[in-house]
Amino acid sequence: MSGENSTRQKLPSSRILPNEAGRGSGRLSNEIDFWRGVALVMIFINHVPGIWFENWTTRNIGTSDSAELFVFLAGFSLRYLADSRTENLTTPRLFMRLEGRAFTIYAAHILTTVLALALLATAAVLLQTNLILTWHNAQAFFQDPAPTIIGIAAVSHHLGYFDILPLYIALMSMAPFIVLLHRHAPQLLIPVSLAIWAATLTAGFNLPTWPVENRWFFNPLAWQLCFVTGFVLTKPTGLGAWARKHLLALRLIAIPILIAGFFAKYNELRWPSPLEVPWPEMFFVYNKTFLSPLRFIHMLALAALITGVFAWAYRFRVFALPGDYLCLLGRNSLNVFCPGSILSLTGQVVRFAAPDSIFVDIAVLLTGIFLMSAVAWASEWRSRI
Amino acid sequence: MSKRVNIHGLWVAALLACSSPVLAQSPGTSPGTPPVVVEPIVPATPPSASVLSVQCAVPVAQISTPAPLARMIAQLESGRALRILAIGSSSTWGVGASAYRRNYPSQLERILEKTWKGLEVEIINRGVSGELAATTASRLISEAALVRPDLILWQLGTNDALARIPINQFAETVRSTVRLLRKSNMDVVLVGLQYTPRYARDEHYKAVRMKLQSIAAEENLLYVRRFQAMEFIARTQSNQQMMAEDNFHLNDLGYQCMAEHIAQAVIGSLFVRRPRGTPGPRT
Repeated sequence: MSGENSTRQKLPSSRILPNEAGRGSGRLSNEIDFWRGVALVMIFINHVPGIWFENWTTRNIGTSDSAELFVFLAGFSLRYLADSRTENLTTPRLFMRLEGRAFTIYAAHILTTVLALALLATAAVLLQTNLILTWHNAQAFFQDPAPTIIGIAAVSHHLGYFDILPLYIALMSMAPFIVLLHRHAPQLLIPVSLAIWAATLTAGFNLPTWPVENRWFFNPLAWQLCFVTGFVLTKPTGLGAWARKHLLALRLIAIPILIAGFFAKYNELRWPSPLEVPWPEMFFVYNKTFLSPLRFIHMLALAALITGVFAWAYRFRVFALPGDYLCLLGRNSLNVFCPGSILSLTGQVVRFAAPDSIFVDIAVLLTGIFLMSAVAWASEWRSRI
Repeated sequence: MSKRVNIHGLWVAALLACSSPVLAQSPGTSPGTPPVVVEPIVPATPPSASVLSVQCAVPVAQISTPAPLARMIAQLESGRALRILAIGSSSTWGVGASAYRRNYPSQLERILEKTWKGLEVEIINRGVSGELAATTASRLISEAALVRPDLILWQLGTNDALARIPINQFAETVRSTVRLLRKSNMDVVLVGLQYTPRYARDEHYKAVRMKLQSIAAEENLLYVRRFQAMEFIARTQSNQQMMAEDNFHLNDLGYQCMAEHIAQAVIGSLFVRRPRGTPGPRT
């Protein structure tokens, strides 16, 4: 545990956020980047539905998946930035910095969405099937562009599998308030976050989408809990100190939760029926949109178990190469996530057009992983020149 | 405040459906089967009693095998408003329809309100174009808990077939979700794959259809054989334009037929194998 803490503390905060210049040589790899890299690869795979490798991502071993991990780690990044001395973030600078970051993510989201639409259109033209234009909620754009382009610009129309960045935009817009609360009343952070989450689940409230009448796939008012929990647990203060002090006990609690999660995943009658559960329903059903307790608790248990594994594994040389590779991805998470989602969509098109074969799946995976690392490498190279 | 629903019209519809010689006949699916002549249905059914219009006429046995809809019957007998959750992909959202009110859930709402005079029917549309069953299943659970519908119409399979989701994985998604909903006696109707000549011979497309049919049989679910019904119309009324310009999605008439077929399947199921203890509908 102490080893893990020292690993974290050795890191200058500037390494944590992507797009941050000034990464020196030496040991760049760290635990957060590593798990972020793992989450990025798993999100890439999970977003090519039907691909064989889908059977090997964390969602197969329990009730949470890489989305929770990704948002949880985003909270870590925010904490490093918030506590950074070099940044000297006074309140106005804090707002400027974090809302600016939200705008960067917004710009990345719009660019990614436009590229995804262009990719679907290209595939439809090349493969001569307009069917592809309906994929992932894209049909609204091609059938009724006027309201849909408004919806895209207003982040109220999301393409399927391209709905994590809207959540991220919403979370980053809330981030200055999280940091202010952390500065002035840190003990209130978790209670306020829990209260908002509980109220959201109780009311069943979610942001609407438009022009396609639906709701956000990732409800920001529910998912902020995951983000804030990551934020609070990053440093060995407050709840973070408590968690570190009782890590062994937490792990002992985590193991039966993870075992139960594993069996629940493979038991047909695994979840309580959505119509049988008592009020408030969202606390008892298994649901991703509202980050239901079944998912959140599993994610926390998984985090308790895997924390420190990185520092331990890094002692073995054989781990260094894949470990460094995943850290490279994780350090550049936004720059990798956006092309990663386009690559996933390309993978879907390829799997649609090519014959059904494991070799196609292998080619999709290897090409995707290679290009994601190429983008990460280029991002770092660009920041050095 | 609650109105008794007049289900007399329904009995007429059901009796006519059962007595029609064409409908009793079960046309084989082998390619050698001669096309069934459809004319006799039409004059035999006064428009007020049957939900199938001339353009959408298909033998009832081709559309679905009746399965119990206990919760819906209870709701109808109580006279309360009927709340239906229509969830699925592009065919639910209404890709190809000229307007929102022409998509199948909107048309179905009008058909059901016409069938039961005085009944209030609310259909909540949660279609997302191009969505796979696994994602819909996840939304379905939260929507079911929040909307609390009396009946769920889950349109699925087309996108999974095209994305070549492994059959067993698809089946597992459907089965576990359906069982979850059925634990609380929820009525679930599976609405099958889109008909399109382009995929009529595709092996995987066919395998997904067959799998849905077998899941429906195992779970004793009402399954609307959309593909077969539309293929029948395409065979027997080939001059009728049912498809949108993309030649894959339905146009307004196609959605009208889809709505009518679902209405027919649902209505036909209200008169079979009633669960023990519940009284039959009185005329």
